[in-house]
Amino acid sequence: MEFFNALSEYSFMRYALVAGLLSSIACGIVGTFVVVKRISYLAGGIAHSIIGGVGFAYFLEFSPVIGALGAAVAFSLLLGFVSLRLKEYEDTVISALWSLGMAVGILFLSKTPGYNMDLMHFLFGSILVIGDSDLMLILGLDVLVIAVVLLFYKQFMAVSFDEEFARLRGVNVERFYLLFLMLVGLTVVLFIKIVGVILVIALLTLPAAIAGHYVRSMNKMMMMAVLCGMVFTSSGLYASYTYDFPSGAMIVVVAGVTYLLSLAGCAVMRRTPLR
Amino acid sequence: MSDAIVIKEVSFSYNGPPVLEHVNLTVPSGEFLGLVGPNGSGKSTLLKLILGVLKPQMGEITLFGKTPEQGRGRIGYMPQIAQFARDFPISVEETVLLGRLGKTSAFGFYRKRDKEIALQAMREVEVENLKDRPIGTLSGGQLQRVLIARALAGEPDLLILDEPTANIDMRKEEDIFDLLQKLNERVTIIVVSHDIGFISKYIHRVACLNRTLQVHKTTEITNDILQGLYEHPVHLVAHQHPPYEGR
Repeated sequence: MEFFNALSEYSFMRYALVAGLLSSIACGIVGTFVVVKRISYLAGGIAHSIIGGVGFAYFLEFSPVIGALGAAVAFSLLLGFVSLRLKEYEDTVISALWSLGMAVGILFLSKTPGYNMDLMHFLFGSILVIGDSDLMLILGLDVLVIAVVLLFYKQFMAVSFDEEFARLRGVNVERFYLLFLMLVGLTVVLFIKIVGVILVIALLTLPAAIAGHYVRSMNKMMMMAVLCGMVFTSSGLYASYTYDFPSGAMIVVVAGVTYLLSLAGCAVMRRTPLR
Repeated sequence: MSDAIVIKEVSFSYNGPPVLEHVNLTVPSGEFLGLVGPNGSGKSTLLKLILGVLKPQMGEITLFGKTPEQGRGRIGYMPQIAQFARDFPISVEETVLLGRLGKTSAFGFYRKRDKEIALQAMREVEVENLKDRPIGTLSGGQLQRVLIARALAGEPDLLILDEPTANIDMRKEEDIFDLLQKLNERVTIIVVSHDIGFISKYIHRVACLNRTLQVHKTTEITNDILQGLYEHPVHLVAHQHPPYEGR
């Protein structure tokens, strides 16, 4: 009950809740493609290397949001290119770029006064200090991601399912793959305030993976993933407020435990989970 | 009468010994051609060249009088099975609709007309009743039919099927070829197969590939030709069919 009182009393609680609900939409949609295309590792690489852009922005004293957006686009293109051209050692190169991006970000931040607090926020989220401008950013990215997916739904579907066939039907497979990875990068940026870049991969993949345990169509998976994301962010927020835990970590714990329980449930019921 | 495919003096190698040498083949519209050859004979390479995925180092290929890139939109291609994850969350109808790519608007969802054409294709191969099933729940034979429907949804003038009956039992195999024979009334068909004895009662000519290509009318196939191709004894199953007169 206390949680609901807090919701009506404090605007930052309402902002946190709304931010979580809004982000869950883009996350469920993009996450479904990440799960069925089996590129969570690549998505993780994009997420973590964004710290490089953030650190760079802090060091040069321009907006960290711009830094994050720039890094999201740059690293998704870079990692996408690696994954397309260097198939054989894709995972090694991704690991290298993943940690290099983070390390460079930390170096830049260390040369910036007062970096400690900001670094923690970027790594683990700061859902309770979300303001109007953050909410507008989340809403804007949400609309952008959803619009692009709806516009090219057929192509994204074709490229995820059967690249060879898509290519023969005249779809520019590489271009749509890179475009999709950019959407992954933007979705990660959208989540920085909520759970931070370290934990974002959990929210990007777990709701969709859980949905994949129960439904066998992309549309239904997306809808269920969006719902799961909404439930996880709100119930995580609730638990973090009630028991006084960090909210980002709490949200991810709720998502992770639910995923493992669902997976165990599938094993017991002898269903084959997608992931 | 236009030719669906013209291959002139094509040679190809992947940075090594030649995989194809001086291949010549003309496939007239309306033909039902079998392409056979042992493993590693260059069948897949030849298909990739026809589809414009690879480029010949020597020689020339035209599809309906155009380059492979320009002409391949008129091809309905059915790959060998297992090019994609069977557990992918996609329904039969959604799979068949993918065949509309390149024929429908680039933006947004499929149009009503796309769905009608997809439904027609599913009806033709008799998988209409499976429309909403996820592809992961289909049997091998059902999946092959769905993939044929996907190829048909692009309203092709030429169907190329790579080992369409590789993973299904004999009786289903006959069903699939009966279906292809019916489709051949309006489209040119090329079937890649390892089982010449079986398919020869359906096809008009057989192209035997083993680095070089030789084309025979099915009436002319003898055990000697097959033995030369496979370099070991092959048993030719006796069969009868009306001789192919061409169109």
